[in-house]
Amino acid sequence: MPLKTLLTAGAAVYACLMTQLISAETLTVVITNVPESKGTIMLQVLAGEAEFKGEATPIASVMQRAAAGEMSFTTTSLPAGEYAVRIMHDLNENGDLDANFVGMPTEPWAFSNNAVGNFGPPKWDDVKFQLEGSVTQSLNLNR
Amino acid sequence: MRRRQFNQLIAGITAAAGLPGALHASTGDKAPSWAEQFDNALADRPWLLGYRSVQQTRFAASADVSGSWPEALTGTFYRNGPAQHEIGDYRYRHWFAGDGMLQAYRVGTGGVDHQAALIETYKVQAERRAGRALYPGFASVPPDPAPVTSPDTVNVANISVLHHHGKLLALWEAGSPWEMDPEDLSTRGAYAFAPEMRGVPFSAHPRIEPDGTLWNFGYLSSAKLLVLWHIDKNGKLVKAGKVKADPISMVHDFVVTQRHLVLMVPPLHYAPDGEATTFLDAHKWRPDDPTRLLVVDKNNFDNHFWVELPSQWVFHYGNGWEDDNGVIHFDAARAGDPMAMIDSFREVMRGNLTPSGGSHHHEYRIDTRTRKVAEAPMFGMNLETEFPSVDPRVSGQRNRRLTMMSSNTLTPPVHGHLNEVSIFDYDSGARDVYRYPDAQIPEEHIYVADPSQAAETAGWIIGSAFDWQQDQTLLNVFDARRLADGPLATARLPYGLPLGLHGRFVHG
Repeated sequence: MPLKTLLTAGAAVYACLMTQLISAETLTVVITNVPESKGTIMLQVLAGEAEFKGEATPIASVMQRAAAGEMSFTTTSLPAGEYAVRIMHDLNENGDLDANFVGMPTEPWAFSNNAVGNFGPPKWDDVKFQLEGSVTQSLNLNR
Repeated sequence: MRRRQFNQLIAGITAAAGLPGALHASTGDKAPSWAEQFDNALADRPWLLGYRSVQQTRFAASADVSGSWPEALTGTFYRNGPAQHEIGDYRYRHWFAGDGMLQAYRVGTGGVDHQAALIETYKVQAERRAGRALYPGFASVPPDPAPVTSPDTVNVANISVLHHHGKLLALWEAGSPWEMDPEDLSTRGAYAFAPEMRGVPFSAHPRIEPDGTLWNFGYLSSAKLLVLWHIDKNGKLVKAGKVKADPISMVHDFVVTQRHLVLMVPPLHYAPDGEATTFLDAHKWRPDDPTRLLVVDKNNFDNHFWVELPSQWVFHYGNGWEDDNGVIHFDAARAGDPMAMIDSFREVMRGNLTPSGGSHHHEYRIDTRTRKVAEAPMFGMNLETEFPSVDPRVSGQRNRRLTMMSSNTLTPPVHGHLNEVSIFDYDSGARDVYRYPDAQIPEEHIYVADPSQAAETAGWIIGSAFDWQQDQTLLNVFDARRLADGPLATARLPYGLPLGLHGRFVHG
């Protein structure tokens, strides 16, 4: 997954994402089970299938020190529309979601809707959700 | 058993249940559960006790030994197999879905001590915490299933066991090996041969050369990948490889020769279509398509080629070797199709006997120079075979003997399972055979070498059987030169255990 871009853009985008803007839309992402206070939580908001597939830069990204237990992120800067969220817990802070020899992740990860895929990685239809008004995505990290 | 007899028996069961057979597939409120159907069938077929679920996580006992245990046969016979078939009132719908239980028979002239432990996989622990079945199994999905986030989420570690570089590993085929304590059989957890190999599928049929070198494969259906493993005698990963296989299938066992690895990919295509809800049902049998065989250079996994045979299904190979002309020879218990797995091993979990064609032994040749492949049956069509094995000291080299389970279809046992253990002598063409009494269902038997004697000349055949009349499991040891004489010694346990899969003997 394209995380290098996320690293470089991280701080600025985080500031943007966290700024309270006047908007009718509020997206809250709660991560319910951060396994340990080690490494970095990386969160991307994806505004379409191209961003989901890594063909375009995510509309918003954030990085934060991992804190064991529950972590919460909120933004009011996104217009209403169709989105997805992707989360990675970069335990060794190498900027990537580590994968094994056959490409299966070896660090914790999550998608919006808690999508995990069926016989393969989740698809856009599995992860997308409609942002309108106030939406909370309560997500569990998998590993 | 004849097909007509099967049909009569099945008709008897469905009549007893008060429902036409077709309704059994429905999930209507009135349909009996699989657990109820199984319990109902037990009355008519007490041998089905071999498929009951264990109700405890541990067993331990000293066996009652009769006969004369061979003085030189000291060590541990480990066995694995599906054993927990039910969680609460939810019964798994396939024999292969059961949570694995590892057994150890500590054998010697001083007696035979047995212990068994349910393997504490992630799945077993999560389902115990939840108090219910959580995960889709091999062929069924429990109500309100939890997400499967990696193969190891549903790893049941239930097929075989490996003892290598001091580690005892319970093996599944689609995920990690599960490390067990060799002494008390407590579970240590998922095992990785190297950090980058964490979670990479490691099949239940690694092959070990006499010098301790280990070869294995794995398959990752969603990525259409076959994975190849080369591990040294100290458990260090020497190399790993990936080969694309499209279409891909379930691959259970493989062949290792002096120079090559051979993997058979049958036309049971992995093709999830959205409607499929289980791993088994995501596969489609396409008998008009060929079976493809992948031949890989052991020294360079990138150097490989494919050859084709007519559609067929193989679970197990006995051995493979290569002659001076570059011709690979191997043998297999070959079935015409995978209906035993698709149908019989599913239906038996609700007490149904459904006939499948059985498997017959074939020998195969692949000329690595001309890339021509041929196969031929080794025995008559009346002889069904499975679980072939050889003296471990000739693994990957030319073998003169072949140990296997067998059955004569003209004189089938009442329980419908293979009921003989055989040794075939390639030199004389003779087959030495012991037929088990119908009250006992034998499991896999293996050749245990006598370390003081030359390979394949002397040793023992060791294997367990389920006595369904006594509801006891027993371990038999035979003289490998005189199988027909019957067991030299029998160690009988005070309890019966579910029918299992593969075992290994560790001397010492």
